[in-house]
Amino acid sequence: MTRQIRHLVGALGLAGTLLVLAAAPAAASGETIGSCAIDKAIEAEEELVANGFTLHEIHDEALEAEFGALESEMESCLEAPSPIIPELDEIIWGGGAFLILLFFMITKGMPAVQGAMSARSEKIASDLDAAEQAKSDATKIKADHAAELAGAKAEAAALIDEARGQADQLKTDLQTRAEADIAEMRTRAQADIEASRTQAISDLRSEVSQIAVGAAEAVIRANLDANAQSALVDAYIDEVAGRG
Amino acid sequence: MADDRLGGYADALLAVAAAEGASEVVEDELFRFAEVLRGSETLMDTVSDRQLSLERRQAVVEDLLGESVSAITTALISMVVGTGRGADLPAIVDEAVERSAAGRNRALARVRSAVELTDDQKSRLAAAIKSSTGTDVEIRVVIDETVMGGLVTEIGDDVIDGSVRRRMAQLRESFT
Repeated sequence: MTRQIRHLVGALGLAGTLLVLAAAPAAASGETIGSCAIDKAIEAEEELVANGFTLHEIHDEALEAEFGALESEMESCLEAPSPIIPELDEIIWGGGAFLILLFFMITKGMPAVQGAMSARSEKIASDLDAAEQAKSDATKIKADHAAELAGAKAEAAALIDEARGQADQLKTDLQTRAEADIAEMRTRAQADIEASRTQAISDLRSEVSQIAVGAAEAVIRANLDANAQSALVDAYIDEVAGRG
Repeated sequence: MADDRLGGYADALLAVAAAEGASEVVEDELFRFAEVLRGSETLMDTVSDRQLSLERRQAVVEDLLGESVSAITTALISMVVGTGRGADLPAIVDEAVERSAAGRNRALARVRSAVELTDDQKSRLAAAIKSSTGTDVEIRVVIDETVMGGLVTEIGDDVIDGSVRRRMAQLRESFT
């Protein structure tokens, strides 16, 4: 890469130098209006001097003709060069410089530019691949994280549901057990109350019966004299005989 | 006691009574004493107490009976106690009385009463039982004041309870 850049810079420098060298003759061959006028004036003065005129003799009719011609020539100086068609020498110098520059650009610059562009393209492609790979990896990681997050959420939801279910079950069990205990306690209390009531009634009856039977026994014993005993025995005998 | 041994003692008692010509009296006295012994835990413990000598046990029984029973009856009871079978005396007497009745083709009717029965009552009771059960019975009366009044007759496993005690029990049950 660095070598290709050096080749490209060298080609550009050489082309610039050739352009400067080629432009110099072109600048030298070119004329401005001023320089042309001066050149014509000098040439006319030298011609006048060469013809034996002095400066104070310039203002006669002959000179006026000369000056008229000079004026025409100077008018010709005022004609601007063609803006489209360059001068021949300029075309030659410019074309040569162009060809040289084109040669160096094709032989030196283009491979360097192509190498740099190829390297750049490869680098960009590599970077794009790396970026794509990174993006793919990131996407995969993101997907993994999303899957893990979803799994964690699902697991958390399952745990929450399970905990809620267990809590509900526990609540139901406790409530059922409490209701059963209450019912059992109520039943037991009612049974105890009933048993106590029954026992109290039984005790009362027993006590009353003891008193009554005791009183009856006392009365009977007091009245069971010999005649009564004999009568009871006779009644018993008659009862046994009556069974047949 | 094995049945054969128990029967042997019973036969011995009956044989002695018969030999003395006092079977009915002796059987009745033995029966009454056996019932007293069956109803008295203290007397039963005394006649069966192995800590006491046989002579001492016999002396206790003889002193207790005294002259309330015949001499033959006292001698027979003392004989059984002297053989160390005092605890078996009720069973021996029961066996003897049943065998005696069976010898006369009768069943033993154990009658509990608060008062003594007259001979007429006994006869009428035996006739009543025969008419109701078809069985000739020999009445043996046991004086039991807990009966209060009326009678309780036991013939084998059958019981005919017409006592005041049972009436009182029924009255007590009706209250409860």
